Amino acid sequence: MLRKAYLVAGVGGIGFFAMSVLLLGVWPGRVLEEETRAMSPKHPLALTASEQRGREIYSRDGCAYCHTQQVRTVDADVARFGKPTLAWETQFDYPHLWGTRRIGPDLSREGSLHSEDWQFSHLYAPRAIVPDSVMPAFPSMFDGAPDRPYQDARDVVAYIASLGRARALAEPVVSKPSPPPSLDTAADRTRGLVVYAQNCSGCHGPHGEGDGPGAAGLSPRPANLSAHEYSKDRVAFALWNGEGGTAMPGWQTLSRSDLSAVAQIVRGFHVASPEPAPPAELLALGRQVYADHCAQCHGEHGAGDGPAVNEIAVAPTSFVAQRASVAESLRVLRNGVAGTPMAPWNTKLSEAELAAVVNFIRGFYKT
Amino acid sequence: MIVDRMGIIAGQQPGLSETAAPAKVDSELARAHGIAALVMVFVSLLFGIVASVEMWKPDISGGIVALTWGRLRYDHTQGILFGWLGNAFFAFLYWAVPVLTGRAVVSRRLGQWIFGIWNFAVVLPGWVLVLAGFSQPLEWAEFPVVVDAFVVLALLMAIVQFLPPFFAGGVEDLYVSSWYVIGALVFTVLAYPMGNFVPEFVPGARGAAFSGLWIHDAIGLYVTPLALAAIYFVIPAATRRPIYSHFLSMLGFWLLFFLYPLNGTHHYVFSVIPMSAQKGAIMASTLLGVDVVIVVANLMLSMRGTGAFPRDLPLRFVGTSTVLYLIVSIQGSLQAQMAVNRSIHFSDWVVGHSHLAMLGFATFAATGGLMHVWQNLPGVRYNRRAVAWAYWLLLSGVVLMFLDLTAAGLVEAQLWNSQAPWMDSVRAVRGFWIFRTATGLPVAAGFVALLIGMTTGERRAA
Repeated sequence: MLRKAYLVAGVGGIGFFAMSVLLLGVWPGRVLEEETRAMSPKHPLALTASEQRGREIYSRDGCAYCHTQQVRTVDADVARFGKPTLAWETQFDYPHLWGTRRIGPDLSREGSLHSEDWQFSHLYAPRAIVPDSVMPAFPSMFDGAPDRPYQDARDVVAYIASLGRARALAEPVVSKPSPPPSLDTAADRTRGLVVYAQNCSGCHGPHGEGDGPGAAGLSPRPANLSAHEYSKDRVAFALWNGEGGTAMPGWQTLSRSDLSAVAQIVRGFHVASPEPAPPAELLALGRQVYADHCAQCHGEHGAGDGPAVNEIAVAPTSFVAQRASVAESLRVLRNGVAGTPMAPWNTKLSEAELAAVVNFIRGFYKT
Repeated sequence: MIVDRMGIIAGQQPGLSETAAPAKVDSELARAHGIAALVMVFVSLLFGIVASVEMWKPDISGGIVALTWGRLRYDHTQGILFGWLGNAFFAFLYWAVPVLTGRAVVSRRLGQWIFGIWNFAVVLPGWVLVLAGFSQPLEWAEFPVVVDAFVVLALLMAIVQFLPPFFAGGVEDLYVSSWYVIGALVFTVLAYPMGNFVPEFVPGARGAAFSGLWIHDAIGLYVTPLALAAIYFVIPAATRRPIYSHFLSMLGFWLLFFLYPLNGTHHYVFSVIPMSAQKGAIMASTLLGVDVVIVVANLMLSMRGTGAFPRDLPLRFVGTSTVLYLIVSIQGSLQAQMAVNRSIHFSDWVVGHSHLAMLGFATFAATGGLMHVWQNLPGVRYNRRAVAWAYWLLLSGVVLMFLDLTAAGLVEAQLWNSQAPWMDSVRAVRGFWIFRTATGLPVAAGFVALLIGMTTGERRAA
């Protein structure tokens, strides 16, 4: 009698084990396979030979034991590392590198975060770049200097550069800006100048004219901060999220007081000069030109939210949030903005129309 | 009679006792595995301590890639799993199986092969290969595939070695320790390939689902059953009293084997693995806490009022293991819940949890079992004073380490949920990491005391 009970229980035990494999291994595998089939790009890029070798080094040296490659569906993860990891993103991972411990940040989307020379220097001597990092240094992958990598280092950096690539290619417009913190208008000016000099002046120049030493190689060029009035929120947004499609990164790692201080400096570059009030018929012509040619991108009410906004990589200027001087607006209309979809309009619009629309859009601005 | 065997272990029949068993015990193999366990725990410990120092002084690796944190961490946990716990459990089995069954294990020659493969084809080459850059980035499965093949071979040989004595007399009267031994050996060999082979052939998220199963089965189907076998064995032997309830012991056993395998996906909560699988695993994790309460209640009631706890050191080890088992399991049920997991996953909290499990629960059970064997094994030395020192040193080490890592994990979780730059979380726990290394020192001293306890003192007659 009892013997049979044990037999039943024994079969049951094996049965439960088999059930666990089916329920938590095989069945999820099938769901994930279907998900992959349904959501993956048709021809996803596999790793190149070099990236694959880099992946093997990444695996054998335990990189995945400090850096996860799995953005979870929790707010804190999404805020730091982007959209949650999908099944198809890992379809070439033999074996997976999800990881269960984070000492350093998640690397699922690292490929687009730092430049190649940053990665080489960091791999060679992490603390040279990030002073308090605890990452192991890998000088043996280099010939004595961070700019003389052996093949191993090239492979590792190639692999890191591939992280998040497939997702970025599949969803080119992935970055969803987060609301910036409200900045303090009574900020410390001295501190603001220091923060500006340390972080901004390389591109935007010492007086905010967009002519810093780092500006030459950038397309589009850095904004001429002195030619625009910016609302407080506009500056806060750019500092917080960066400017998509440009070299301007977000500065979310700066404290709120530093951001407030530097925002004051940025807004202080523009010296307001009184503009004559345009006549009503000029404004009526401007309204007509704007509706015909500009609203598609810049939006019916000038908020940079026209119907075409999702199709272009660089956000159209919101005239509600910033106001260019008349001269600056005319310059832009005549030349376009290289590196963005903003084309020159002087071949399509008459001088009167240009002047009309330039004056019209100034009315959108709200401080 | 099998009933008598159960009677021996339960202390119900004063005419028979464990001292009658040594004739059937292969004391040479038990001794060899016992010493190997201690030797290997030192090496594993060294890997762990150096890795822990590298978390606050990373440049001590001196740019030598074989000594970087990742490779040392691989060797640390694999060494503990196979080198320390594996050998300690084998030593225990060479004593316990003949006592439980009244029969010798199958073959001394087979035992020598198992010893050789386990130590010289698994642990030692595994360590060397990992340091040389041949490994798998899979948790509790870091040794390379070629080594994994020898693990499976050794496990199959262990089944041939240890299980026939149980089945020779029929299974209806098996004591609970016997069930746990049978369960552990059979289910480990079934579960092991899932974590070690499947993810190499099944990519990404799909492979991770199998990884998750093995991460939990390694502790649930290999470590826990053998630890409980030792606890259930030592308690009646030390108290000379039967356990409180054979029925509860069986209930606990079957619930464990039903529920443990269903836990695995709780390592990947909030992942892309289907939510119903995650929720099922969370539910099983919760129920597992209930099962552990049943098991621990039975064990505590078995020890209650015997007065043996302060007297008998092996009992003190397994009794402490029982308490740690309760704490770590309730913690496990808790941290599988989404509300908790959301914050503490990926943090040092989890590292604290696994040290409480492996260095606390499992190590104390294995040490209790090993010391019980050592007290009775012919031809070995046993130094009670040193073993008592080992108890207090190991206990203070693991408790301090657990508290420290738990606190560090909470700090990390707090900062990760804030908008602080990532590096703030690294800077904030540096002090906790330094203290964690310090807590490794009493642990190391405890194992030194244990080795002294096993190699000095009075020698039992051979």
